[in-house]
Amino acid sequence: MILYAGTVYDSSEQNRLLDELKTRIPQTLAREPLDPECVINAIDRLRQDTLAGKFDELLVNLPKDTVAAYKAQAAVLLSKDMLHLKLKTELGNTAEYETEGAEGFSRIRVRTMPLGVILHIAAGNMDFLPAYSLAEGLLTGNINILKLPSADDGLSLKLIMQLIEYEPKLKEYIYVFDTPSTDIYGMQKMAALSNGISVWGSDVAIDAVRKMAPTGVKLIEWGQKLGFCYVSHLAENAEAEEELRALANHIADTKQLLCSSCQVIYLNSDSDEEQAAFARRFAPLLEEAVGKNKSDEIGVRARDTLVSYTARLKDILGEEEVADNVIRMRGCSVLISDNSRLELSPMMCNVLVKNLPEDRLTQVLTESKNYLQTAGLICPADERGRLTDTLLKSGLIRVTRAGNMSAYFPGESHDGDYALMRYVRHVNVEL
Amino acid sequence: MKLRRKLFSVKDPYDLSKDELFLGACRENWSYLMTHCEDYRKISEGLGLKSVDDIKRPEDLPVIPTMLLKQHDMRSGAYLASATSSGTSGNFSTIRFDLGGLWADLKMALKMSSYHKILSPRPCRYIVMGYKMHRGNKTAIAKTAFLTTLLAPAVSRKYILKYRDGAYKPDFEGIMEAVCKYARGKLPVRFMGFPAYTFFLLQMLDEKGVNVTLPKHSKILLGGGWKQFYQEAVDKQTFYKLAKKVLGIDEENICEYYGAVEHQILYTHCRNHNFHVPVYSRVVIRDPDTLEPIGKDLIGLMNLITPLLTATPVLSIMTDDLGVLHDGSKCGCGIEAPYFEIIGRVAPGEIKTCAAGAADILNGAGK
Repeated sequence: MILYAGTVYDSSEQNRLLDELKTRIPQTLAREPLDPECVINAIDRLRQDTLAGKFDELLVNLPKDTVAAYKAQAAVLLSKDMLHLKLKTELGNTAEYETEGAEGFSRIRVRTMPLGVILHIAAGNMDFLPAYSLAEGLLTGNINILKLPSADDGLSLKLIMQLIEYEPKLKEYIYVFDTPSTDIYGMQKMAALSNGISVWGSDVAIDAVRKMAPTGVKLIEWGQKLGFCYVSHLAENAEAEEELRALANHIADTKQLLCSSCQVIYLNSDSDEEQAAFARRFAPLLEEAVGKNKSDEIGVRARDTLVSYTARLKDILGEEEVADNVIRMRGCSVLISDNSRLELSPMMCNVLVKNLPEDRLTQVLTESKNYLQTAGLICPADERGRLTDTLLKSGLIRVTRAGNMSAYFPGESHDGDYALMRYVRHVNVEL
Repeated sequence: MKLRRKLFSVKDPYDLSKDELFLGACRENWSYLMTHCEDYRKISEGLGLKSVDDIKRPEDLPVIPTMLLKQHDMRSGAYLASATSSGTSGNFSTIRFDLGGLWADLKMALKMSSYHKILSPRPCRYIVMGYKMHRGNKTAIAKTAFLTTLLAPAVSRKYILKYRDGAYKPDFEGIMEAVCKYARGKLPVRFMGFPAYTFFLLQMLDEKGVNVTLPKHSKILLGGGWKQFYQEAVDKQTFYKLAKKVLGIDEENICEYYGAVEHQILYTHCRNHNFHVPVYSRVVIRDPDTLEPIGKDLIGLMNLITPLLTATPVLSIMTDDLGVLHDGSKCGCGIEAPYFEIIGRVAPGEIKTCAAGAADILNGAGK
């Protein structure tokens, strides 16, 4: 299905509509720019209706506890106040101003304007991501072409249509296509219409976009990342037990599926005995957390168990795992590894434990520099400043408490950037 | 594979006295796989099963999830034929058949069909609610559908899914015409294939006001596509009533099958519409959290075991289905072997992750 200027069309109309869009875009660009307040009002109404249960039937396919968590997030993050705060944090003061000028140079007027047209290629790995990416494009006043992920089950389209219903002005700024990624011709046509391409996804997806994007188009890449937790001198940490519990909860809660989820627990140590002792200490905490976070839905639990078991067998086939360095618990495991590489765990509450002494930290992490994002840190108070600095210098973007690795912090950047800043341009007019 | 031959030659398909023979045939199959399939040996040893003495019960065998077979092709020794699961998601598993396995399969299918009175010398017309076999289609369901039409001599075969312009399309109109024509004839009609299509056809006939009485001995055989069917949760009684109303086919002439491409046992409904476990296989229900075997009457993951094939390591597989096992005596049809019920499937969809994509690269770059 295609959503084109507020009307739904069959996918087969794609080429005709893309041709038509070519003449439509300049007309929209020539009009008064989209006011962010329009967008904020529409999003806030979406939030209110979501909380009132208006979209519950669209969410029936999601586990109940997930829906509850989403609603709690929507209540805060989609509120008018929060959206205003986001605009302010990410774009700063957008009021037009004139420069002071310098001896021998003209003065200019500086204005923040939308990039123009943004093509969003959203990954299917997070619910609501396509709609979220599109909303960021709207907040900055852009015309948005959204290519839906193949895994999208219609939820994104319905939410977007709802936004247009609240605020019909938006329809000129929203074009949604369900083009498969294999339709290179269609994708190239969309890319050719755009000033910027915002792409979310795996390296394979991003590489594909780089190959088809016209030279000169601004690429806004949101790649995939690997999270870890760094643990130093537990014995000297009065809050050690509490922090380890929080880490176990984080692992059980995110099932290690997010970019920010903890895949590896690094120990500031070189000793195999300490490593084994840590794994033995952590395993029961993880088991307890997994027990508490267990979904009530048998289908979800069974799927998670199957995925985890399949990953275990694949590990055996790859001969990466030796049976005696794994501590298996109910619904989870702790895998003791003898290398220090930052890598993906089998996920679903199967965490890797590795040794990585502080003096080798930067060296090891720079090997994975393009995949760094979040590090949880468990250490005595007097080490926190130093270790945080080392992590940041090694390329990390977020350093958090162990339990908050996947938490959202209002005002935070995304992989080091403010997204909205990448969707605008600062224009200069000579006075 | 002496013990396999013996097991698949057992006369009564629901003989309860063959536990020892079953275990023996499983051990025989396991020993073969250990020496002919490197991947299977690794998995078995990785799970701590190193000698045949480690297998004291069928549930001790290493369990291979169909999820793994879809991601990792495993083969063991020579094969004659192959089939793929009718996966819609792009992932499918390839199952290979050895000669002995094919023979055993055929014997099993004949015994089950004969026991359940589906095997008949009476010629009939088939309406296949599934794929017509063609070269490019290796899905097991196409083969099964075709093979099933051999259970009684076929005067004609009509397929609902036709291969046209590179794709399969359902031809409901053609089938409806055929139904009306056959109702005026004398030969029994057998419907065979996907339950969902069959149900849809019944609804369409009903909407058009068709109600015929097909000749005596007409049957509806349902198999394949069960998973979708259960999800749609069509009430079986509704199905039976509609079949009676539209086609004049009684409930006892509606026969259902359950099977999987990875587990080629032709489970056939008894007269009380239950799937009893025959002598050729065992169904173990496993805890959804720990995968430990759980007792009767509890819901869990379905682990299906049969020593039928050697050319693919599908001795003990884990499906995506959730089921329950009951004591045979509770059914009341006379078959004492336990029977299972399919309750549903594991949560739909791929697991969503944004961490996994990053791993591919590190595997490439880090090494």
